[in-house]
Amino acid sequence: MNRCLGGTAVVMAAGLALAGCGGSAGSSSAGSSSAKPALRITSAYMPAPVTSDMAAGFFTVTNSGGADTLTSVTSALAGDVTLHSTKGGAMEEEKSFAVPADGTLDFASGGNHLMFEKLTHKPKQGEKVAVQLHFAKSGTVTVEIPVKSATYNPTTGH
Amino acid sequence: MHKKKTLAAAALLAAAAFTLSACGSGNSGDKPVAEVSAESGSGKAATVLDQPFEKPDLVLTDTHGKKYDLRAETKGKPTLIYFGYTHCPDVCPLTMNNLAVAKKELQKNKQLTQAQKDSLRIVFVTTDPERDNPSALGTWLKGIDPDVVGLTGDFSTIQAGARTLGISIEAPQKQKDGKVVSTHGTQVIAFSPKTDGGYLVYGQNATVDDYTKDLPKIIKGENP
Repeated sequence: MNRCLGGTAVVMAAGLALAGCGGSAGSSSAGSSSAKPALRITSAYMPAPVTSDMAAGFFTVTNSGGADTLTSVTSALAGDVTLHSTKGGAMEEEKSFAVPADGTLDFASGGNHLMFEKLTHKPKQGEKVAVQLHFAKSGTVTVEIPVKSATYNPTTGH
Repeated sequence: MHKKKTLAAAALLAAAAFTLSACGSGNSGDKPVAEVSAESGSGKAATVLDQPFEKPDLVLTDTHGKKYDLRAETKGKPTLIYFGYTHCPDVCPLTMNNLAVAKKELQKNKQLTQAQKDSLRIVFVTTDPERDNPSALGTWLKGIDPDVVGLTGDFSTIQAGARTLGISIEAPQKQKDGKVVSTHGTQVIAFSPKTDGGYLVYGQNATVDDYTKDLPKIIKGENP
């Protein structure tokens, strides 16, 4: 199952890169839903987890094209990756997240996060975790998420 | 329009009522609980409370399965309390690691005696006692700092204790797919060794640097 997705990921990621380049040049003025999304993933990190039971992941999707939707996430590191929002101190599992046209989708500590469960091992600081983000229109994007310290703060950078 | 106003008034009343029940003191309504979680614009992570919280009268079970009386065990000791759960990927481990790393940094401090450094108590109270039994809590805390006191027990007791600190937690709920949704507190409360009062509140954006900077003060019961 994971292997299948992995294969698709490589192909689709290549496709996205192309669409991304063409899209941003052609559709800068539009914000319409018909425009192709042009996604960029930045600021990705995983805080070194406490145990191999569970880890979190954060990143920002910047879209300079039409709207898209993040529908699921997979990784060889984890048996299960789910999308969560945090509301009033409670996590809530979400089926998908909207990536607005010419906007951003933020996964940040205390808010939206990826939850990795059933890890194959406990990732250590300095490691990189390959994660596939599956989008409704843009297909699959593979991101190498660096594992940072357990107390990493993206604002201070350490 | 009229309806809206009534609702707003009702909400205010409810908030005021909550403040009273949360602080347990009837004479001052000027410290609403909501303010506690507000981000301070002063650049300081801690909010200093004019009217400190009383330490909750919690008698729970520690990670060794032994009875732990919070007030008795932490009397006269600088104490940090956080309410969270171990099946929490984001805020709970981050908060606890921030405290643990700051505590480690404290060892480098030359102004404090070793006895002062050793007096610090960090207490993690689970909001998900069904899953976080003493051994599960112990395993998790070992990955953070084995000196942290992990407490579990009856949920309603824990919830009532949290409420006296203005921290609202809900009972874990099992969803249709069998997954359990729990809640964690968003604040860390620091108790003074001088008064045993909870005089500082940290929101969840407090960083390891904030705690590292403030811990030497907290150990002496001073304002950061």
